[in-house]
Amino acid sequence: MADVTATSVDGSKGPPIGAMRLPRQLSQSKAAYILLAPLLVFFGVSVIYPVIETIRLSFFEIKGLAPAKAVGLGNYFKLLSDENFLRALRVTFVWSFSATLFSVMIGWALAMACALKPRETMVFRVLIFAAYGVSEAVVGFIWLGIYRPDYGLVNGILGGLGLENMQQAWLGNPDTALTAVIVAYVWTQVGLPLMTCFASIQSIPRTYFEAAYIDGAKPMSMMRHIVMPLSLPGVRVAIFINLLQSLKAFDLIYMLTGGGPVRSTETVGFFMFRESMLNFKLGYGAASTVVLLVAVLIVSTPLIAQRTRAVK
Amino acid sequence: MIGKTPVWVLPIVALVALIWIVPLLGLVIISIRPMAETTLGWWSTQEISFTLDAWTTVWDKFPLAYAAWVSTKIAVISTLIPMVMAPAAAYAFHYLSFPMRRVLLLIIVNAFVLPNQVVVIPLFLLWRDLGMIDNMWSVIIPFAGLSFAWSVFLVKNYLEDFPKDLIEAAQIDACGPIARFFHIVLPNMLTPIAAVAILQFMWTWNGLLLPVVFLRDELPLPALLARVQGVYDNNFDQVAVAAIITTIVPLAIFVIFQRYFTAGAQTKTGSKE
Repeated sequence: MADVTATSVDGSKGPPIGAMRLPRQLSQSKAAYILLAPLLVFFGVSVIYPVIETIRLSFFEIKGLAPAKAVGLGNYFKLLSDENFLRALRVTFVWSFSATLFSVMIGWALAMACALKPRETMVFRVLIFAAYGVSEAVVGFIWLGIYRPDYGLVNGILGGLGLENMQQAWLGNPDTALTAVIVAYVWTQVGLPLMTCFASIQSIPRTYFEAAYIDGAKPMSMMRHIVMPLSLPGVRVAIFINLLQSLKAFDLIYMLTGGGPVRSTETVGFFMFRESMLNFKLGYGAASTVVLLVAVLIVSTPLIAQRTRAVK
Repeated sequence: MIGKTPVWVLPIVALVALIWIVPLLGLVIISIRPMAETTLGWWSTQEISFTLDAWTTVWDKFPLAYAAWVSTKIAVISTLIPMVMAPAAAYAFHYLSFPMRRVLLLIIVNAFVLPNQVVVIPLFLLWRDLGMIDNMWSVIIPFAGLSFAWSVFLVKNYLEDFPKDLIEAAQIDACGPIARFFHIVLPNMLTPIAAVAILQFMWTWNGLLLPVVFLRDELPLPALLARVQGVYDNNFDQVAVAAIITTIVPLAIFVIFQRYFTAGAQTKTGSKE
């Protein structure tokens, strides 16, 4: 017992007195590492190792089975003068920006409209949201049919409206292919901002609307002055997820155009896939990935900061 | 909301929802009408008849049943791993103090921005050297590993509201740190665990990039679908059936449990509004 008192009076080491009388417990840090160990193995293999390895590979020239040759920053200099890569950067920017913008705008507008009649619009919300759960492999098949030049739905509607001169091979024309893929992608994504914005609107206290109603506010001005500003948290969440998902997007482009025609729908992610997996230039592909990673980090830094603040 | 709502709201929302569902509707119609009728467009009405031919023949043409089995194995295992490990990690990060705690947490949480393509080449080389190409674990390991970026954060957010008294009471009753997790915290975390399970199941079932690159013969449904489309381009009715089979499981789970999805999406970024 003397021992116990001494430690607690000293106060600099050991747990409080209460704990000392108890049977020995596993120390916190040991317990923590036991609980974390399996996760760290999976995370290390599938995140930490690939990131380090990608950065390492980007400093080598690897062509097929020939031995790797260290080229320093050579791959990066080559990328900067590679027209295809610069185009891929542009395509990635247009793709991510417009996909996010249109998804969030449409989803937000729909959420506000649905909030006016929450119960009656429930089925419609689920129908629009359903597209978000469809595999992009399936989305690809569906939209290939819609854009078919001969008997696709788009050309069918244009024909029905007497606009035969506007009919074309939507995915085969370099001028329209990117827009066509973005439309298909937005179709899948709108459900997310719809749901997050709707949830934000639902959590607005009812008393705000009562107060506004007593003051004689019309539904439209309640929309403008209560619903729009107070649904911003949902909008922010949607922008964060939509933007990051569009920067990572690969599956749908792979299914619809394979990056074509004449590389007009090739994003940086697809450029890397082509250089590494099809042309077997692993070092070059890795360098393009590092550039993409840096670009993603620049775009997401403000969003990450917000996320990191929540980490205590 | 209070007050009279404009009458145009319901028709407009209904119209948008109708437009939204047309692509999926077309898929179903192609699968139940004879090819001869739908080659001019699935909406053509010159002749309308119903057939299940595509549904009965598709099983012989494509190894759909086997692909469904592969998909199930991959999605279930890739979902079970974070269901157990994410709560354990979230508990450790939230209640225990240990060296490197903050650094590790920041690295894991911020991996959310990592594009999937980044991990593909190094893992492909690693699996090739280990002889693991065409082994389902080559897909499961990264599926699980990449999920921790959001799943740990999601569960940890729920712990913010967990009563600390319960933990302290257990501590006084000589319950060790690991026993506290299994007896006190885990049984009370079923909601976030369900959210993790639904999101992860949907994403791993639908995943295309990793299976396309790492697997050769043992293909899950989306990868099989991507492959057959290139090969058999004249039997849309059968590919439509394959597409419906590919999407029906995650879609059903998704629609039934969409509430959890919204909860997950909200906490995924740390906003708790």
